[in-house]
Amino acid sequence: MSGKAVGARLPRYDGMGHVTGATRFVDDVRAPGTLWAKMFRSPHHHASLRNLDVSAAEAMPGVRAVITWRDVPHLVYGHLEALGIPADEPLLAKDEVRYLGQPIAFVAAEDEETAAAGAEAIRADFEERPAVFDVRRAFNEDAARVHPWGNWYPHFEGEMDRRQIRKGDFAQAAEQADKIISGVYRPAAIEHVPVETQVCLTVPEPDGRLTIHSCTQALYFSMGVVAAHLQTPLNKLKVVGGTVGGGFGGKVDTASDTVTALAAQKTGRPVKWRWTREEEFLVSSTRAPWHMEIIDAVTSDGWILGRKMLTLHDSGAYARFSPYGVTKHSFHHTGAYTIPNLHFDGYVVFTNRVPTTAMRGFGVTSVSFAVETHMSRVARELGMDPYEIRLKNANRINDTSPNRIRYTDPSTVDVLQSIAEAEGAALQPAFAGMSREPRAGDLLPEHLVTQVKTEGH
Amino acid sequence: MKLIVNGARREVGAAPLDSLLSVLREELDITSVKAGCEAGGCGTCTVLVDGRPARSCLIPAARAEGAEITTVEGLGTPDDPSAVQQSFLHHYALQCGFCTPGLVVAAAAYLEGGGSDDPEAIASAVSGHVCRCTGYGKIVEAIAAAARGDEFDLESTALDVNTVVKTGGS
Repeated sequence: MSGKAVGARLPRYDGMGHVTGATRFVDDVRAPGTLWAKMFRSPHHHASLRNLDVSAAEAMPGVRAVITWRDVPHLVYGHLEALGIPADEPLLAKDEVRYLGQPIAFVAAEDEETAAAGAEAIRADFEERPAVFDVRRAFNEDAARVHPWGNWYPHFEGEMDRRQIRKGDFAQAAEQADKIISGVYRPAAIEHVPVETQVCLTVPEPDGRLTIHSCTQALYFSMGVVAAHLQTPLNKLKVVGGTVGGGFGGKVDTASDTVTALAAQKTGRPVKWRWTREEEFLVSSTRAPWHMEIIDAVTSDGWILGRKMLTLHDSGAYARFSPYGVTKHSFHHTGAYTIPNLHFDGYVVFTNRVPTTAMRGFGVTSVSFAVETHMSRVARELGMDPYEIRLKNANRINDTSPNRIRYTDPSTVDVLQSIAEAEGAALQPAFAGMSREPRAGDLLPEHLVTQVKTEGH
Repeated sequence: MKLIVNGARREVGAAPLDSLLSVLREELDITSVKAGCEAGGCGTCTVLVDGRPARSCLIPAARAEGAEITTVEGLGTPDDPSAVQQSFLHHYALQCGFCTPGLVVAAAAYLEGGGSDDPEAIASAVSGHVCRCTGYGKIVEAIAAAARGDEFDLESTALDVNTVVKTGGS
């Protein structure tokens, strides 16, 4: 049956709506009496915040509500708090701002221009503090402090300050190795740039519920986050989602729903908040910049005996989903290859940049870039064929991942052979005839025999 | 102020410098015209003004007075889609759909002007449109097929997934 569905021309259920303009995105939903909203944001990368004065905005004709930290029933909440991970980010800044554009006060008014004028009329005293923007520098002893407790996240399991993996014995692998080959890899931040900017419309219903039209990619996350900040039961929230004008991970964080819901509650009117393109570029979350150091212990005939890796993940000013991203990253730090001796440390490092988030393979795209680039570097330094070094170290059935998951259906060998064929690269017979079957006889070095025994397969 | 939108004369109370985008969206509730950047950069607010593609976010409504304004709703409806709309649908030249209305009207203008199926000419005609789901290849393909007048069976595209599974056999 699946054979007929794969390759069949299946319709997009939403396609006709898209080509005729009938699809209703969040910004296309209409509610009578809707107020527009704008955010007063931090003008500094890092500063103390005092004497927040919203009186001029509140007195402005047409302004219906100004929301500050005082209006938020539960100010500090984290996306991963439901999993027991402590929160660090206030919905609206209270006494300190840690990135340029951090939300401080929210103005709902009769029209967009009045809301913008209201936000511009808000005043506060800022005392600028030293800021840090590079994830590697933030890791230095003498770096500017982003949070009182330090510059990296301290709450991995067992209150560890890193995601740590130890497997086998890297020191021994380094002793046995013919060569140590290292590399540093630093992919930069990427903005998702959805053509639909962040947007939310919250409609207060006569029965006290809130209907939240959300552009979220993660509807149940958003529902939980809004409920926690508002301290309201879930059955008082009706979140309408499903039509997202581009997300790519950038609409996983709850960026606009919570404060819009608060404003709707306070005014008793529908409230819409649509970010400008400038806001989207400057202060929406991005894919993280990463700093990755790989040190491989290799034999001159191309076996990677051990890998030591340090990863610094730029979380921006707050943790959000970053601990989860680094955990995924750690599980993938050998890529599609099996390395028996591992020593991995991954840190969620804070900087005074916008908080970072998921984007197309959260935490994994970065490590794939580093691993594949490094594999080619190892091949080059050993004078080996880049296919052969990959096939030699490829995941085989019964090999185990860094987090000790036994592979039952690894595709590395087949994929590499297919690519070689497509590219017209001639493989040596031993590699052309390789299979993903468990290692035995040929291509089974002593260190992997030991490893297979250790892992109990 | 009077605007002619999709063939109908509409009275609007907008200020002369209000953008055509905001008048179409907020006053006339024509929501296919999207606000993507409001700075002329993304193309998603594109409408036809006297048959020529124009960015409605950059045009004061007063400048469009008396002109024929066409939005994607004016090209065809779900019950009666135009050839270029059908071609976009058939070739999967869309994903999230947010940039689609702007692209479809730009494609319609290109075809109306006698545009060929040359991929470079098509790419040039729609180069001002940003699609972040990266469907450019299929978009060019859809416009080229429409330019050639390719015929295809939209009904076969519209097969229900359950039908496919049920009739899939072993």
